[in-house]
Amino acid sequence: MKKFYIWLVVAAATHAIALCAAVFFQIWNAGNIVKPKIVSVTLVSLPAPAGGTQELSDGEGDAEEIPVQVISPPTPSPSVEQKVQKPVVKEPQQKPPQLLSPKIVVEKAPASQPADNQLQKALERMKQLVDQKTPPPQPSSVSTLNSALDKLQQKVKSAGAGNGGGAGGRGVGGGGTSKSYKAAVASIIQQNWEFSGTLLKNSGGTAVYVRINILPDGTISQIIFDRRAVSEYLNNSVKKAIEKSSPLPPLPKEEGSRDVWIGFVFSPEGIER
Amino acid sequence: MLDPKIEVFGLVSDAGPVVLFVLSVLLSFSIVSWAIIAFKFSYLRKSLKESSVFLDYFFDVYNVEKVFTESERYKHGSLPKIFRSGYIEYQALDDKRNIRQAQTRIARAVKREANTENKNLSTLVPFLATVGNTAPFIGLFGTVWGIMTSFHTISLTQSASLAAVAPGISEALIATAAGLAAAIPAVIGYNYFTQQISIIERDIEEFSPEFVAALLNEP
Repeated sequence: MKKFYIWLVVAAATHAIALCAAVFFQIWNAGNIVKPKIVSVTLVSLPAPAGGTQELSDGEGDAEEIPVQVISPPTPSPSVEQKVQKPVVKEPQQKPPQLLSPKIVVEKAPASQPADNQLQKALERMKQLVDQKTPPPQPSSVSTLNSALDKLQQKVKSAGAGNGGGAGGRGVGGGGTSKSYKAAVASIIQQNWEFSGTLLKNSGGTAVYVRINILPDGTISQIIFDRRAVSEYLNNSVKKAIEKSSPLPPLPKEEGSRDVWIGFVFSPEGIER
Repeated sequence: MLDPKIEVFGLVSDAGPVVLFVLSVLLSFSIVSWAIIAFKFSYLRKSLKESSVFLDYFFDVYNVEKVFTESERYKHGSLPKIFRSGYIEYQALDDKRNIRQAQTRIARAVKREANTENKNLSTLVPFLATVGNTAPFIGLFGTVWGIMTSFHTISLTQSASLAAVAPGISEALIATAAGLAAAIPAVIGYNYFTQQISIIERDIEEFSPEFVAALLNEP
C-alpha cells in the first residue's frame, strides 16, 4: 500500500499541475477568445417632437440644439452613417434656425412621405460631407466613428453658438445642457436594451422611431412609437428598454418644471459583423 | 486577471458553497481514481509479466527446487506466489509418502494463496466502479443545485435576460462536467482492470492443479 500512497501524491500533484496549466492557458488565451457574433445596435436620438423640443430649447440656445445626437455609434454601415450624420453637420452649420425643422418632420414621419424624403436627402448630404472630410472608418472601428461624430457635433455646436450669438445673443448653455441630458438618457436606455439580432435576421429589421415624455422628476410618462419596425420583437425590446430605464435622472434645472419630449431612433446594425 | 463572466475558473470562484463542495468531492474522487489506476496498472502489468516468465521456466525445468528458487525472484507475480505457498506446504509435510494427505494439504494451501491473490488483485478496483457510477450523479446534483440557486436569484432580480440567466447555468454545468471528467477515466480503468484480473484468475485456476501435481510427483 505504500506504493499506492506514492501514486496518490503523484495524482494529486498531477491534478494541481493540470489545473494550473488550465488557468495559465486561459490567461494566455484570453486575448484570442473568439467572441460570438453579436448584434451591434445603433441608438440614435432624434429631434424631439415639436412641442417637447421647443420646450427644451426655446428658453435658450435654439441655435445650439442638435437635432440628432449619436449616442452609441454602431459598426459603420452606410445606413448608420446616414442616420448619424444628417443633421449634425449640414443643417446646423448652414441654417441653425432650421435645426428644429427635422423635429417637426420626425413627428409627422409616420404619416407623411415628404418628411421621409427630406430626411433621406439630409442624410445623403451628411454622408457625402463626412466622406469628404473624414477617412472612411474601418468596419469594426467603433471608436473611430465615435471620434468623428464627436468632432462633427463640436463643429455644429460651435457654428450654432456663433450664429445664435449673432442673431440674438442667446447662449450655448441651454442647448448644451439639453444635449448632455439627452446623451445621458440615451446611454441609460441603451444599457437597458436587450436585443438579439439573430431573431431579427429574417424579419428585415428596420428602425424604430420613438419619442418619450419625461417629467421633471425624470419619470417617463409616455412612450409614443412614431414608426414601428417590422419586427415586433424589436419594438418590444425598445419598449422594455425604455420602461426599464424609468425613472431617468431628473431634468436639468434650466428646463424648469416643464416636461420634455425626446425622440430616439433604435436601429439594428452590423448583424453580419 | 480572469474575466469572471467568461473564464471557467472565474465562474467556479463565483459558485455557491454546495457547488464548491460537490466540485471538491469530485476532485478528490478524480485524484484517488487516477492514483488507483496508476497503482493497479503497474501492479497488474508486473504480475502478468512475471507470471508469464515463471510459467515458461516452470514448464522448462521439472526440478521443483530450481523452480522454487527461480520463483523467489518474482515478487509481484501471482503464479510464483501460489507455487511458493504450495512448495512450502509440501516441505512442511511430515509424511510425504502419504499421497492423499499431501495432495489435500498442498491443494488447500494453493487454494488459500489463490484466494488471497484474487483479493489483492481486486483491491481498490471497486472504488473505480463506484466513482464511475456515482460521479455523474454527484455532478448532476451540483448542477441542479446551481440552477436552482440561479433561478432563485433570477426571481429576486426579476430579470430573465440571458445576461442574468446564463452565468448561473454555466456555473452550474461545471459540476456536471467535473463529474463526467472524474467518471470517464474511472469507468475505462475499471473495465480494463476487470479484464486483466479475469485473465490472471483464469491462469491461477488453470495452473494451480499443475503445481500440486508437480510437487506430488517430485522424486
